Amino acid sequence: MIKVKNVTKKYDNFYAVRNINFEIKDGEIVGFLGRNGAGKTTTMNLITGFIEPTEGEIFVNGFNIDIKPKKAKAQIGYMPEGTPLYTDLTVREFVNYMAELKLVPKKERRTAVDEAIKATGLEKVQDNLTRNLSRGYKQRVSFAGAIVGNPKILILDEPTVGLDPKQVIEIRELIKSFRKDHTVLISSHILSEISQLCERVIIIDKGEIVAVDTPSNLESKTSGNLCLDIVVDDLNNSIMTLKDNIEEIEEIKLLETKEDSTKEYIITTSSTNDIRKKIFAECSKAEISILEMKKYENSLEDAFIKLVEDRPEYSQKEVNKMQYEKEIEEIRAEMDNKRLEKENRKQAIKEEKARKKAEKEAKKDAKKSEENNEEGGNK
Amino acid sequence: MFAVYKKELKTYVCTPIGYVFIGLFLLILSLMFYVGIFSSQYINFEYLFYDGTTIILFTLPLLTMRLFSEERKNGTDQLLFTSPRSITSIVLGKFFAAVTIVLIAELFTLMYFFILNYFGNPSLPIALTTLLGFFLFCISGIAIGMFVSSITENQIISAFATIGVFLLMLFGPQLTNLFKPFYTVYFFQESFLTGLVKLKSVILFIALTVLFILLTIIGLQKRKSLK
Repeated sequence: MIKVKNVTKKYDNFYAVRNINFEIKDGEIVGFLGRNGAGKTTTMNLITGFIEPTEGEIFVNGFNIDIKPKKAKAQIGYMPEGTPLYTDLTVREFVNYMAELKLVPKKERRTAVDEAIKATGLEKVQDNLTRNLSRGYKQRVSFAGAIVGNPKILILDEPTVGLDPKQVIEIRELIKSFRKDHTVLISSHILSEISQLCERVIIIDKGEIVAVDTPSNLESKTSGNLCLDIVVDDLNNSIMTLKDNIEEIEEIKLLETKEDSTKEYIITTSSTNDIRKKIFAECSKAEISILEMKKYENSLEDAFIKLVEDRPEYSQKEVNKMQYEKEIEEIRAEMDNKRLEKENRKQAIKEEKARKKAEKEAKKDAKKSEENNEEGGNK
Repeated sequence: MFAVYKKELKTYVCTPIGYVFIGLFLLILSLMFYVGIFSSQYINFEYLFYDGTTIILFTLPLLTMRLFSEERKNGTDQLLFTSPRSITSIVLGKFFAAVTIVLIAELFTLMYFFILNYFGNPSLPIALTTLLGFFLFCISGIAIGMFVSSITENQIISAFATIGVFLLMLFGPQLTNLFKPFYTVYFFQESFLTGLVKLKSVILFIALTVLFILLTIIGLQKRKSLK
């Protein structure tokens, strides 16, 4: 489990990430999407403890990375961006060194290294120096370094960059195989990869979390009115009559005239309702043969673009203003707390006084009744 | 610490750096030995180390320049500092690996003692105090070089900056009293080379070493919040 709580990373007046919050549950594969410089790598570096946040807390499997860094880091397998490797070591030596750094016990180390090398398909090159490997293999070595020792949490920064299509599929399959008993956070620019691999997606832009949801929810939430892609055999050129007969149709746009004289159109509608039945009926009346008709699906890419584009670019003045407002809010909250504390204290003192008074009166009453009893006895 | 130590030692052995350092140091020392001692038939082992200190000031940065600069430049510091190893253990692992290479170079200097012993009768106790002093002198130099390496990602800058610091320590005391406590060459020469192990000198070298190791650890820790 990874929990990022109110984390901010600030360099002078520049916010690399600002007040981000998210949680990744055990066994989840989560994608981290964002444009270049959005704050993906900074967030990953914060989670792995490579850099410290200016504000906020990060918990890795329950361990605060600032307070218990050793325990927190022992849970993580990190594959940094750009595949940094020790070029004077062989593949096996590198993976073994990573296992040693991760405190894998000596008895289990050999098996752990063998497993990591096997899983990443590096058996053939395990005795080669890493500097002599192709980019794809280097990527695999870096991945082997991350998974050696079977860490509970994997953080992969652009894991498939530089791989050929076959290797990409292999690495994706490998990542999928970790689904059951690992928590995986992947950053990638390849949106199709994220939608294939991940159960949830975190979209970050300009250092702020824009959306956290499943790929399908993001796609449906950001999709607008229904669009249809239709291929017709329309000898009479009467397709435009559909617009007059079906009121939901906003626009019919010719996309392509094919060699066999069939035509492909994009029909834009003004509602989200499915109007395919109506179109089918009207086409039948107008003697238009429908060869193909499908909904134009909103992809994760569309969702991503819609979410991150046109987001306001804050000026320094606005950033200062927000910071000022935040500080004022904090001061107000602090003052409220103090006032509340004072009131509680006053209340407690009052109650204590009342209690003491009641005790005194009870004692007085007891004394009086004793005296009365004594007087009665004397009489 | 041992994992980092082993890996660093391997790097020194598998790359030319270790051999270049040992080879260059012994080559210049051998020339000094031939010109200054052997040809003048002067049976004095410790005499060799008057020059040895100057040679090491220029060759030691070869060992220390890459310690952290290379990691930073290649991005492998991400692998090191995201591992469950503490910064202290990483720094000490690297430090002791460099110390081991210096120790190997120093053991090779014993051959000059045996050559002199063949022709005459050099003093063994003075030779031993000389070697002890030289070792302490070198480890303080490694700590300084490692600190400089931790504050830059360019190895060349790291090497020249280390040489600059060494030169300041060498000539600074003649310019101002401010550098007097760091006049390690003087402390080495007036104590160990005369066969005396002065507590003041030993403490100075050890204090310098510990100070710069601590500065390296604090600097790396501090950089986490600045990065």
